[in-house]
Formats: sequence, C-alpha cells, structure tokens
Amino acid sequence: MRPLDWAVLGASLAGIVLYGLWRSGSSRTTSQYLLAGKTMPWYAMALSIMATQASAITFISTTGQAYADGMRFVQMYLGLPLAMILISAFIVPRFHSSGVFTAYEYLERRFDAKTRALAGVIFLLSRGLAVGVSLSAPAVVLTVILGWPSQWTTLAMGALVVAYTTSGGIAAVTWTEFVQMLVMLAGLFAALLTVILLLPQEASFTNALAVAGAAGKLNAVVWRLDLHDQYNLWSGLIGGMFLALSYFGCDQSQVQRYLTGRSVTQSRLSLLFNGLAKIPMQFLILFTGAMVFVFYVYTQPPIVFHPEAMRALESQPSYEPLSREYDRVFQQRRAAAQRFDLEGFRQAQEQMDEIRSHALTIAGQAAGQGRVNDTNYVFLWFVVHQIPTGVVGLILAAIFAAAMSTISAEINSLATVSMVDIYRRFLRREAPDGHYLAASRWLTVFWGGYAIVTALYAQNLGSLVEAVNRLGSLFYGTLLGVFVLAFAFPRVGGTAAFFAMIAGEAAVFTVWHFTGLAFLWLNAIGCLAAVAAGCGVAVLGRRPQAAG
Amino acid sequence: MNPTEERPPFRGSWGRVYAALALYLVLLIALFTWFTRSWNR
Repeated sequence: MRPLDWAVLGASLAGIVLYGLWRSGSSRTTSQYLLAGKTMPWYAMALSIMATQASAITFISTTGQAYADGMRFVQMYLGLPLAMILISAFIVPRFHSSGVFTAYEYLERRFDAKTRALAGVIFLLSRGLAVGVSLSAPAVVLTVILGWPSQWTTLAMGALVVAYTTSGGIAAVTWTEFVQMLVMLAGLFAALLTVILLLPQEASFTNALAVAGAAGKLNAVVWRLDLHDQYNLWSGLIGGMFLALSYFGCDQSQVQRYLTGRSVTQSRLSLLFNGLAKIPMQFLILFTGAMVFVFYVYTQPPIVFHPEAMRALESQPSYEPLSREYDRVFQQRRAAAQRFDLEGFRQAQEQMDEIRSHALTIAGQAAGQGRVNDTNYVFLWFVVHQIPTGVVGLILAAIFAAAMSTISAEINSLATVSMVDIYRRFLRREAPDGHYLAASRWLTVFWGGYAIVTALYAQNLGSLVEAVNRLGSLFYGTLLGVFVLAFAFPRVGGTAAFFAMIAGEAAVFTVWHFTGLAFLWLNAIGCLAAVAAGCGVAVLGRRPQAAG
Repeated sequence: MNPTEERPPFRGSWGRVYAALALYLVLLIALFTWFTRSWNR
C-alpha cells in the first residue's frame, strides 16, 4: 500500500460516513430512528438494498469464483427479478398499509403473538450468527493479504459502523449505503477496466474471450437440469426466486429498507430497480474474475493464492518438483494461448488444474486441514500485486464499503427486531417514545459489540465460520412459508402457522442432513413444507367444529 | 389491482411495469445463452 492508496482509502471511508451522518440528520422519535420517518426516496432505498446484499466476502470471492469455476454463479440471481415483482405486487402494499416496524409485527396482526415471537427469534438467531462472520471474514482476508492485524481491522471497521449506525439510525445506514454502493460500483468498473488494459497486446479482447471460454470460464447459463448441481438455469430461476422472496420479503435487514419509503410507489421502484440492476452487476463482477483468469494466462500466477498455505506448501519436500512441473505447464499453456491453439491450451489448462488441486491438498495436509480453498484470495492477490497505485486504494475502499454496508444493516435490523418484537412487545409494553428511542440506541450498541466480539472469536473457528453461515440460511424458506400463509391463506390461524414453522424447519433440516440436494432448493422445500403443514393443521383443526 | 392505488411514474400501470421486467429477464437469459454458446467452447 502506497501513500496515495492510503489517502484514497481514508478519504473514501471518511467521506462515506460523513455524508451519511449529514444526510440523516437527528432522530427524535422511534419512527425516525427505525423507519427514517418514512421519508426515503426510491433511489436511496434501491442502492441501500443492493449494498446490504453485497458483502465484502461476496465482492472478493465472486471474482475468485469466476477464476476457479467460471461465471455460472450468475444464475443464482435469475429468480431475483421474479421475486421483486411478487414482493412489489403482494407484500409491499400490505406492509405499508399495516404501518408495521418489522415484518414479524405483521405476523401478530395476522396470526398471534407466539407466531410473531417465533419468527422474530428465528431471525435473531440466524442473523445474529451471521453478523460476526460478516465482520470477521473480510478482516481475515485483508490480514492474510496485506499483513494488517486482524483484531485491529475488525475493531476499526466494527467501531466505525457502530458509531454511525447508533448515531443516525436507519437514515444514516441508508444514506451511507447509498454512497457505499456508488464506491463499490466505481471500484468494480476500475478493476474491470484495469484488468482489460493490463492484458498483453497479443491478447485482443476477442482473443481474451476465446481463451476464457476455452477454459470453461464463460459458462453464464447451464440449461441442463441437475438437482445436485448448485448453479444451473432451473435452480437459479426456481430456487433463486424462493431465496430472493425469503430474503427480500421476510428478512428484516431487507424489509426495513423498503419500509422507510415515503410511499408504496417509492418502495416498489426501489425493489424493481434491484431486479433490473442486480444481474448485470453480478455478471460484471464475475466477468472481472474471468478476465483476471486471462491475465494470469500470460503472467504466471502463484501455484496457491493463499499466502499462509503457500508457505506451508513451500516447507514440503514435494514442493520443488511440483513447482518445476507447474512452471513447465504454465509456459506450455501460455505458448498455446499466444498461437491461439485452443485445443493445446485446453490440455495445458487441465494439467494446471490438476497440479493446483494437488498443491492445495498438500498445503492443507501440511497445515493439518483438508484441501485448502484459495478462491477468496485470488482477486485481492491480483489487486495488491498488479493494480496501479491509487486504484488499489479505491478497490480496497469498495471492499470496506461492502463489508460496512452489510454489517450496519444487520446491526440495525437486529436492534429493531429486539426492540419492537421482543422488548416493546413482551418486556415493557407501556413506556414513552423517548424510552424506546433510547432502548433502540442501546440495542444497536449491544448488537454492534456482539458483532465485534463474535468476529474476534470467529477468526479462530476456521471452517465452522462457513458452517454457521450456511446454517443461517437454512431458516429462510420456513419464514417465507409463514408469510405465504399470512398473505394467501386467510383461513389459516395462529396455531396452524406456529406449527407450520416448526414443520418447515424439520423438513429443511431432514432434507439437508440426509440428501445431497443443491442448497438453493432448500428455500423452496422449507416454504412448501410450511405452507402444506399450515394448511393441514388448519383443516384438521376445523374438523371437530364442522362435525359439531 | 386496487383502483385507488397510485400509478407508476411510467408505463401506465404496475402490471405493465412488471411485464416489462419479466420480459427483460427473458432477454437477459437469451443474451447469456448466446454469450455462453458463442464463447464457452
């Protein structure tokens, strides 16, 4: 990191926070603090929604994913526009007209207090598990690549986020996310432009596409239906739609964004804009990763991108012959690409993949683990070692912005659900608004502190971090199911909805544990199981009355 | 659709806005299919 990069990084982060605090003003009521007084325009909510969704690790690892596995990950977002249409048509008007602070508050109006409480607790559990990971994951990666102490990165990022989230509430979160998303887009375009400009002269843009395609990196659509394949057109359209419906329709960290809209129209426009812009944005991030792959066709990449794993590999006796073989095959692959011999290139690529896979296994064994996954380190390695001064600062600012936007939204929504659905509903029902405003601020500090402590602890948990992250998303389908019951099945009551959630979770965990079904389908299964169970219990509950 | 509902700022009705977004998704899938078939060999 050169001084210019530090200057760009520091100015970007300071600018983001100051702009957010300036635009948010001061909150004097709970409604202002938690819903920005319902004054937000669509464009602020739209970019805020996109920023919440784009975490640092998504930004870093999506490019790495394209480098390793190609662009097929983009299909995960194909169901998103359909979900935006359904939420805009059926969910947004209901939430707006009911005047709720949280999605789960709506469940009590429709069903009963126990259904609301269970949904709120499921949200606190899943989001609470994820918030520490959101904070620790980028810190760990930045530490490994840049050598910054992870505790300090975590503390600095956490303290900054807690400060502006506590001070300005949802308005500060939304306006900072608005700028954070612009910084992310600037960083993304700067990275894409730079990698294309850095390609050697013999690699014209069409040649670069052909080389990336020959290695299978431009597989944006896979039409073949395979239930065990994570990303294809069908899992993306159907499973991705259920995932997006659950995330945007039932997860408070997203629902709270569009509840701040000054009208139904403004909230709808923010969601529909997300449906319009999200897929092209993900395509560009993945395309950047594919171009990083092409760059490393002409410039030799390290055999392993993870610096610690590389050091572990170097200490092994098998490293020397493996390294010599890697050098030889790299030269062979580059020569094939230069003379545009795509068949020869493909063969060399397969050999390089085998050598890299072998190296990752040896590095993992040397560190006492399984096979190392270095996908998250590819893009940062490229940024730090290849990108010109100044642009590095901008791209790191984009990564920090992505991390901060997700964390602030999570802390803010956790505080809101804790205050509205637990504290105000069950612990202190009649108190002045000032008391709830103060409670909201304290709960924000609490969840911020919790995130920091969990993040510091999570750094030592290794693979458990990934497990916790995946566990968190096991709850989405069931939450969606109970909202489908609320909106579409007027004869289903509170007890049926409560048991529907339990049955939905039981179904998801059973399928997850006993089958190798691709992850995206679990959202659909949880939703359908909850709806079926809710309808079943409602029918059984009515039979005695009908008989009587 | 509720007759008292606010109209969108373009395309006249929300139904048409939703149809436009669905059509956009179909076009994106077609574009991605062309992209994959043209370059990913």
